[in-house]
Amino acid sequence: MPMNELLPAIMAFVTALVSIVATWLAVQEKDLLVAVLFSALQSTCYALIYYLLMAPDIVLVYLPVSVGILPLITVILVKKTERYEE
Amino acid sequence: MSDSLLLLFVTIVVAFVINMAISLYGVFAKPSLVKKFIALTIFSDSINSFAILIGFRRTALGHPSIAVLPSPPQSPKDLESFVKTAVDPLPQALVLTAIVIGLAVNMFLVGLIMLYCRYYGTTNIKKVRV
Amino acid sequence: MKLSDVIIGVSMAMLAVLISYLMVYGGLGPIASYSLRPLATSFLNYTYNPWNVVYSALSPEAVTAIVWDFRGLDTYFETSVLFIAIVGLVALFRGASIAQGISSRGLSIIVKTSTKIVAPLILVAGASLAFHGHLSPGGGFQGGAFMAVAMVLIAITFSIEFLHQKGLSLSTLLTIRCVGLLAIAVVSVYLLVKAVLLGGSAYIFQNMVRINSSYSMPSWFIDRPLGGALFFFNLSESIAVIGGLTLGAILLLLREEELRAVIGGEERE
Repeated sequence: MPMNELLPAIMAFVTALVSIVATWLAVQEKDLLVAVLFSALQSTCYALIYYLLMAPDIVLVYLPVSVGILPLITVILVKKTERYEE
Repeated sequence: MSDSLLLLFVTIVVAFVINMAISLYGVFAKPSLVKKFIALTIFSDSINSFAILIGFRRTALGHPSIAVLPSPPQSPKDLESFVKTAVDPLPQALVLTAIVIGLAVNMFLVGLIMLYCRYYGTTNIKKVRV
Repeated sequence: MKLSDVIIGVSMAMLAVLISYLMVYGGLGPIASYSLRPLATSFLNYTYNPWNVVYSALSPEAVTAIVWDFRGLDTYFETSVLFIAIVGLVALFRGASIAQGISSRGLSIIVKTSTKIVAPLILVAGASLAFHGHLSPGGGFQGGAFMAVAMVLIAITFSIEFLHQKGLSLSTLLTIRCVGLLAIAVVSVYLLVKAVLLGGSAYIFQNMVRINSSYSMPSWFIDRPLGGALFFFNLSESIAVIGGLTLGAILLLLREEELRAVIGGEERE
C-alpha cells in the first residue's frame, strides 16, 4: 500500500515545519533562558528527522550532545553573564 | 506514488535551508554574544543535516533499511540483498566526526565568553569601547 | 527595524532561495536516488564478508567499521582535537581548583532522592551502548556522552565539593582522560609490535588479516562476532570521553570565590 511508505515522509515534513518555527522563535527572543529552551526544542525535532532518515548512530550522538551538554553549558553561561540581551 | 515521496523530501531540504538562513541572520544581526553563540550552534546543526540528506536513498520496493546486518550472512545472496536496500553509511561516519569537533570548539568558546564578560563587564558588543 | 537589519534579512532570504534551488536540482549530487555511489556499495559489501577476509572488517555494523577500521586515522585526529580543546579550557582556568567549605548543600532533598534512582540507570545504559557498538547502533562516543550527562547531573544536584570528597578532583578526571587515550594508542600499535617481535609485517590500526600480513585481532567471541579491534577501541573511547566532558563541565561550574584569586575582574559587571 503506498500509504505505508508515505507516513514516515509526512511525519518528517510536519517535524521540519515545527523546527522552522522553533528556530525563528529562538533567534527572536530577548530572554536568553527561553531562547535556550527553544534551541533545545529545535534539536529534538532534528533528532526525530535523523531517525526517519535511517541514521540511528547520529541520533545516539546528537541527543546527549545537543539536548544535554550544550543547553547545560549555555544555561551556566547565561547565569554567569546577563539574562536579557540589550 | 514516488512523486509525492520526492515532493515531501524536497520540502525537508527546503526546511533545512530556511533554518540555515534564519540562524545566519541571528549570527550577523543580534548584538549579544550569547545569542550569537546559540545561533551558531543551530547553523552548524543545519549544515550537518545536508550531509545526512544526500546519504538517503529510495528502493524500488518498500523502505530502505539501516546500514546494519541483522545477523551474519549465510550466503553471498544475503549480502547482495542487503546492499540493494541499505542507505549510504559514509556520510553518517563523517557527520559523527563533525559533531564531536563542533562540541569541542563550542565548549572552549563558552569558556572564552565567560572570561570576556568578566573583563569587559558586558556581553553586548556595541557597548564595548576598545 | 534598523536599515542594516533589513539589508541582512533580505540578503539571507536571497541566499536561502538560491541554495534550495541548487540543492533540489542536484548541486550536491542527486538526492533520494535509486542507486548508491560505488564507494558506498564497496563499504557495504566488505563490512562483513567472510569469503573475502582480506578486504573486510568482519563487523555487522557498517558505520562503526568505517569510523574505526576503514577511516581510523580520521577518528584518531578527531579524538586529539577534543583533547586539545579540553587542554585549552584547563589553560584558560589555570590555577583554579575546587575549594572546600564554601557551600556544599546542593539542591533540595526531593531532587537528591530522584537523582539517586535515575543516575545509576543512565550510567548502565551508557555502558551498554559502549559495549555493543560493533553489533548494533552505538559505540564509544555515544556511550561516553551518555555517561558524561549522568556525571554532570550528579555534580549539579549534590555539589562539586561532594564529588571532590569522593575522590573526583580535576586532576583525577584529567588522568582518566589520558588513560583512555593511552589505551587507544596501545590497541592501534598492538599488532605492529607483535609483528616486530615475532617476524613478519603488520600495519598501524590493523584489524583483520591483510594481503601482506597474517596477524589478526580475535574476530569471534563464544557465539557472536566480536569486531576485533573495534570492541577495544569503543571501550577506551568511552573512558576518554567521560573524563574529558565531565572535566569541561566542572571547570565551567567553578564558583566565584575559587576564581577571584586566580582570574582578574569580577562576576556580572
